[in-house]
Amino acid sequence: MIAALRYEFLMQIRRPVMWIVYGLAFAALVATMWPAYRTLDLGSGGGHDPKLAMVVSAKVTMSLLAIVYGCLLADRLIRDRRLGVATIMDASSANPLGRLIGKYAGVCAATAAPIALAFFGRAVVYAIAEGKAEALAWSVPVFATAILPGLAFLGALALAGPLLMPPLVFRVLFVAYWFWGNLIPADMMPTLSHTIFAATGDYVAYGLFDRGSEGGFVYGPWPDAALNFLRPVASPAVAVLWMGVMVALAAGILLLARLHAARSEH
Amino acid sequence: MRIQLSQLTKTYKGGVHALKGIDLDVPTGMYGLLGSNGAGKTTLMRILAGLLRPTSGTVRLGGDDVTTKEGRLAVQRTLGYLPQDLGVYPDLTARQFLDYIALLKGLDERPGRRRRIGELLEVVALGEHADRRLKGYSGGMLRRVGIAQALLNDPRLLIVDEPTTGLDPEERIRFRTLLSHLAGERTVLLSTHIVEDVAQTCRYLAVLAKGRLVFQGDVGELVSRADRQVWTVTTSGAAPSTGRVVAALPHGSGMRYRVVAPVPPDPMARPAEPTLEDGYLALMEAAAPV
Ligand SMILES: Nc1ncnc2c1ncn2[C@@H]1O[C@H](COP(=O)(O)OP(=O)(O)OP(=O)(O)O)[C@@H](O)[C@H]1O
Ligand SMILES: [Mg+2]
Repeated sequence: MIAALRYEFLMQIRRPVMWIVYGLAFAALVATMWPAYRTLDLGSGGGHDPKLAMVVSAKVTMSLLAIVYGCLLADRLIRDRRLGVATIMDASSANPLGRLIGKYAGVCAATAAPIALAFFGRAVVYAIAEGKAEALAWSVPVFATAILPGLAFLGALALAGPLLMPPLVFRVLFVAYWFWGNLIPADMMPTLSHTIFAATGDYVAYGLFDRGSEGGFVYGPWPDAALNFLRPVASPAVAVLWMGVMVALAAGILLLARLHAARSEH
Repeated sequence: MRIQLSQLTKTYKGGVHALKGIDLDVPTGMYGLLGSNGAGKTTLMRILAGLLRPTSGTVRLGGDDVTTKEGRLAVQRTLGYLPQDLGVYPDLTARQFLDYIALLKGLDERPGRRRRIGELLEVVALGEHADRRLKGYSGGMLRRVGIAQALLNDPRLLIVDEPTTGLDPEERIRFRTLLSHLAGERTVLLSTHIVEDVAQTCRYLAVLAKGRLVFQGDVGELVSRADRQVWTVTTSGAAPSTGRVVAALPHGSGMRYRVVAPVPPDPMARPAEPTLEDGYLALMEAAAPV
């Protein structure tokens, strides 16, 4: 498990293409969301509050970079078989589930590193520009609770999805899924977006970090949206529930991936 | 480590009968497994390595039954396997790749692991390239990385599947000599369709054809299958029409043919000394369904 973690991390972190794609995506993010990304204020007047600024920064950063994250992970699990490395690994006495978990942790950590860099980099810039060092203190819990659980789930999905289809097809579907299930308004069409199954950290933002509280905005069911039963009113408990859902989904997907491999082995 | 197979069969999902009742006893030392394409060599080796479950029959490796989970783990701990289609991570160096596999094989203690990797890189003569990325390696070098990874856990059973295919003659000879050196006190099971590799390294061998074992015994015995069946024919006319022509060399104004056939293929034919390849061909001729 440690072996897979260490080497999968190493191989992914030093892939130039990863840094290039993230660089381009980051440039696109800055270009398309410039006013919001500059002020870290999504209309709720929180741009000068370091806590809310970090919450908004997390939202803006994830909105685009999560796509890159998913797409860069898509070939990582299946390439063992494609490269012909899987055979000798399967012939070793190492536990296959341990290997899968190690690979997942290592490669996801490496692929999440540029996101962390962008997010914490923005926090440093904010702290200096606004003269508010508390932003740095807030950035850590915001990253851990609003970004990481989503990445844990998306990582498992992106590793396992291509077991069922070619990675290119998966990437297209993943992008479509990201917009449909996470970004579009809930009343546009039946969607998972803004539910506790959405990978964006909105439940944490509203439930734990009080985003929207000044305007008296309550995050939860949308008027005239389908699937509202998946949209409880945000609260700290629901925020924790969302984190649990993300981690449980990740674990479930990895387990299914392992079962899938075990079935096709013999 | 002794390998005992009895009544081993494997039928793939699509209904391909890859192995049709194999009974085989492999002693310690170097052992050759010959067979043409699709004979079932890889299937047999994957079963021995615990990667594939047999459809029926028993497989015992030094007392462990690979069809049970415990048996498989016990075997895999003392197994080295070089698959036919070995791949590597192109972005790792040889040393890093070996370190990764060593960790998977349970070599947890760091100084010992490093020492072992260093030794093996010397054994396979890759010491000076060890810190280069594998994407720049030639086919022969990759094959040597493959054998090094198989040896990491000092296996008592080494399974190598067509390791010399695609290597140039020097590299091939170096590789098979290395394998013979490794045999010593372990069992090395070498599969190939290159008869010469077996002739130069193994005392005992088995021949698979279409999922059946058509021969097992020592090399001399297989050679003797071609006794009084190998002929040379020197002619300026057409090639002999009976038997199988194994060589054709220009000779004076005509050709000199080497033919494997149960009866003289030509009134002018002269008997010749059989080689292992002739024995193999005679066997295949005899085993071929009429
Ligand atoms: N995964 C598989 N599914 C279905 N059939 C298979 C599978 N693998 C091999 N076969 C079939 O089983 C038979 C034996 O194949 P195998 O790979 O064991 O032969 P081989 O002796 O290793 O041949 P080669 O010299 O070409 O490597 C072949 O007919 C092959 O088509
Ligand atoms: Mg084969």
